[in-house]
Parts: sequence; C-alpha cells; structure tokens
Amino acid sequence: MRKRIASYVIVSLLLVVTIVYSATTGSIKMGFFEFFSALFEQGNSQMEAIRDLRFPRMIVAIFAGAALSVSGVLLQSVMRNPLADAGIIGISSGAAFVQLFIISLFPMLFFMTPLFAFMGGAFACFLVFALSWKSDLSPLKLILVGIAINAMFTGLTEAFISFGGSLNVSASSIVGSNLTMRTWSDVSIIATYGTIGLILAFALYSWCNLLVLQDKTAKSIGFHVARARLIIAAVAVLLAAISVVVAGVISFVGLLVPHIARRLVGYDHKVLIPFTALLGALIILLADTLGRTIVAPLEIPASTLMAIIGGPFLIFLLRKE
Amino acid sequence: MEIKRIIVSHDNITNHLDNVSTSISKGKVTTIIGPNGCGKSTLLSVLSRSTMPTSGTASLENRDLVMFKPKEFAKKLAIVYQQNDVPKDLTIEKLVGFGRLPHKTLLQSNQEEDRKAIDWALTVTNLTDKRHNDLEALSGGERQRVWIAMALAQQSEILCLDEPTTYLDIYYQIELLELVKSLNEDYGLTIIMVLHDINQAIRYSDEIIMMKNGQIIAEGPPRDIITKDVIKEVYGVNAVFKEDDELGLYMMSLGI
Repeated sequence: MRKRIASYVIVSLLLVVTIVYSATTGSIKMGFFEFFSALFEQGNSQMEAIRDLRFPRMIVAIFAGAALSVSGVLLQSVMRNPLADAGIIGISSGAAFVQLFIISLFPMLFFMTPLFAFMGGAFACFLVFALSWKSDLSPLKLILVGIAINAMFTGLTEAFISFGGSLNVSASSIVGSNLTMRTWSDVSIIATYGTIGLILAFALYSWCNLLVLQDKTAKSIGFHVARARLIIAAVAVLLAAISVVVAGVISFVGLLVPHIARRLVGYDHKVLIPFTALLGALIILLADTLGRTIVAPLEIPASTLMAIIGGPFLIFLLRKE
Repeated sequence: MEIKRIIVSHDNITNHLDNVSTSISKGKVTTIIGPNGCGKSTLLSVLSRSTMPTSGTASLENRDLVMFKPKEFAKKLAIVYQQNDVPKDLTIEKLVGFGRLPHKTLLQSNQEEDRKAIDWALTVTNLTDKRHNDLEALSGGERQRVWIAMALAQQSEILCLDEPTTYLDIYYQIELLELVKSLNEDYGLTIIMVLHDINQAIRYSDEIIMMKNGQIIAEGPPRDIITKDVIKEVYGVNAVFKEDDELGLYMMSLGI
C-alpha cells in the first residue's frame, strides 16, 4: 500500500518536473521564474512561440503516452498475454495503413480520420486474435502472428507511399512518429478521444481483473467473457488508433510501461490503469524532450528512442517467459 | 435437475455422451464414476452448462438450461474445476469475492450481503485466517478450498466438483470430502461430483452414476449398484467387497 502511494506521488512529481523542463528547454530557452511569470501574461513573444509550438507537442506526447500504455494494459488483459502491445502486434500499423489509404483516396473525408484508424486497428486486432486463437493465445504464438501482421501493414503502407509519390501523398509522419509541428487542432483530437478512451478503460477495470480467471471459471460465475473481451479490445484499439492519428506509430510503450507499472503498484487494474496512464505520459514526454534536446538542432523521434529501449526489453521478457 | 437423451459429440464421429438420460435429486450427494474417457466429466459439463449438447435437453426446475441468463444460472449452480491457473498478486478474499459477481448488476451491489457471503464461504472452508494471503503462497489443498470458497460465495443451491481430490494427497482428500459432506448435511447444498476413487464414492455419496463408453451403466444408492459384477464389467477389474462395522462397505481390487 505504501509502495503504491509512493509510486503515485513520485511519478506525478516527475511528470510535473518534466513538463516544466520540457516547456522551458529547447531552441527557445526560458528560466523557471521567467516562465511562470510569462505564463499568466499576454504579449511575451517568447511565451507566444512556446504556447503555439511547444505546448501542443507536449500535450500530444502526454496523451499519446497515456493512451498507448493503457492500450497495452487492456490488450495484455484481454489476450492474457504479458507481451501484447498495439505497436508490436500490428494494431497501430493497421490503423496507420487504413487511415492513409482511405484519406488518400477520399481526401474530403479527412475529418473522419479517427474512425478509419479505428477500423484499421480493429481489423488488425481481429486478425491477430483469429490467427492465434487455436493455440489458446499462447504468448509466443501471439507475438509471432502479431509481428507478421505488423510487417504486412507496414509493408502495405510503405508500398502505398512510394507508389503514391505521383499522387502527391505526403505521409512520412504516419510511418514513423514525429511529434514536431503539432498544432492545437491535433491536441483537440487526441484530448477528446484520448480522454474518452481513458475514462472507458478505467470503467472496465473490474472486467480486466476478472479476466485473470480461466475462461471456463469466469463463465461459471456468470461472466460474459466474450462480450467483455470484445469491449475491452475495442477500447484498446480506440486508444491505439487515436495515438496513431495524431502522433504516428510508437511501439514498445504499451509493453514497457505496464510491465514497470505492475512491478510498482501490483496487478489490480483499479490502481494499475490510472498509474499506467501517468507513467506512460511521463515516459513519452521524457523521450520526446530528450529526443529534441540531446542532439539539438537535430531531433531523434520519441518512437526511435522507444524502439532502442524497447527492443532489448522485449528480448528480456521473452527470455523470462 | 433432469437431462433427457443427451448426445455430445466433439468431432461428429464418436459420441462422448451417447443418449444419456438421468435426473439428479435435490439435496443429495450424487457422484459420477467410471474409467478414464467414459464421459463422466463431459456429463458434468453438460449439467453445468459449459458444454452444449449436440442433441437432447438438460433442464433445471423444469426450465431448459439454455433459457437461463449467465448470472441467473450462476446463482443456481456453481462449479469447481479440477485444475485452475493461479492468478498472480491476488488475495484469497478478492478471489472469493469474484464469486459474488452473479449477485451484482452494473449499477448496484449489496455490499453488506457480499461481505456476509464472503465471510461465510471463508469460514466454512476454514480460510478466515488466511484471507489476506496471496493465492500463490498456499498449498495444493488450500488452493482447492479457495476455489470451493469462490463457488460457495455464489450462494447457489447446487455445487458441482470435477475430480476435486485428484491432485491432493490423502490428508487433503479426506479434509475436502468431509467439507463436501458438511456442505450437504449442514447447509443443504445439492452436490454433483466426479470422483476416481470408488471407496470414496461409496462412502460420501447418496447416489452414484456409473458410466462407461459415454453411457450410464448403473445408477442408484452405492450399495445397490456397486457390485463385483458391475466393477468387472465397467473397469475390467476383479474386486472383492467387504462389510466392516466401522468402514461400512469397501472394495479391494484383486487383479485384472
């Protein structure tokens, strides 16, 4: 119990510190006191630049981190598999491809981008489920199937982009992830859908807890296992898809963050889901901030940093299985 | 509970249950026995609605089992399976609390009643002292009792047990069967279980259903149906039966 409270307090404090650090560091630098006094006044030109360019980027990073991490928790619960992550098993790349494909063909439907991304993610999730169901969702089998699905959608996206060069499609931000040049309209998309998704995820915590039971046992106490799985998976896909729409594909967050979170606050989803959201927000904001400051003026995308840390981490988890 | 002309076939070639009809008496201990692969667990899973029969009907209180909603059925019948994965980082109390699910709806739950039911289930299974312990820290016999406690928290009238003693050593086997007996005698639960040990079945059952090759060979009170000839026919084992003042009827196998 004490460990839980300490973890919450420490991660919250770190998040606040990182937010302030991130806001004041970069090509425009500001002192802390200068920053706080400028925050509440109009007309400071440096502050206006930060407000327009840096705040959207930070808020997108925070929401994308929270959404992807919670999406990981939900997927791990639904698939009863500690290795599930929207990026690794192809849900994100499915969302990215379908979104790109439909918007390229029907550009006037751009306002429905989140819906198409959701459809793509849901389709990829369905494929992973269907193809690994026979092996009782065994962790390794599921990862193998997921990697294949991911490769397929990533390949399709890349083919479509090289093919679409003549169609004047610029889509580089969808393949990898780059948080530069985010705008307040990006913020409004991810803040709206992200908040809805995170609230829904929390509302499902007791179902996630019940899914630790084997299916037959869960059914015997009158639990609608299939229905619960479907709804939880849908929320997970929503969270992953909305991150893809605004921040591009970032893998491994949904793997790394829940794993650390379980170590710190335990397996009860009532505590785990909010904590994962906080920790995920912290990690992606930190990754993005470091990415744009350590080799400035060049930038390392957050997704690249996550892959560098996440790859070895997945190997570590696989060896433990 | 009643089942009529049940056929279950998992592969549409062989029948795992072949035209089985029987009825389970309320308030009694009914034990299903028979050799491996005879369909005894399949019969139990039809009764507990986890297997849908290929044809035939199963009913409870004159209502077809498929007519019950999941939670409604879980209030009538609880089942403890032979093997269960042990969830990580979960206290006994929380796991037993899962058994209250059928009594909850999305918007309301009676916490006072939940607490009472959980306390009762823990007391009966003698787990009150360990309620805050993690499941992983328990012995096999204790774990089996935890799953029973979860089923008891459902407060159903019928309790099914699938080979509850299989992975336990003899001390825990007896402890468990005594628990089952007291659940029946003191709390009026109808018990339906699958057992391997014939002597335990004789000793702890009011009714026995003996199966072979997906069919019921004999059913009735233990003394009436378990005989030398039936054992030879069903198991292919030569056995003798002795009557003892303290033990009652018991069986010794001689050879094959």
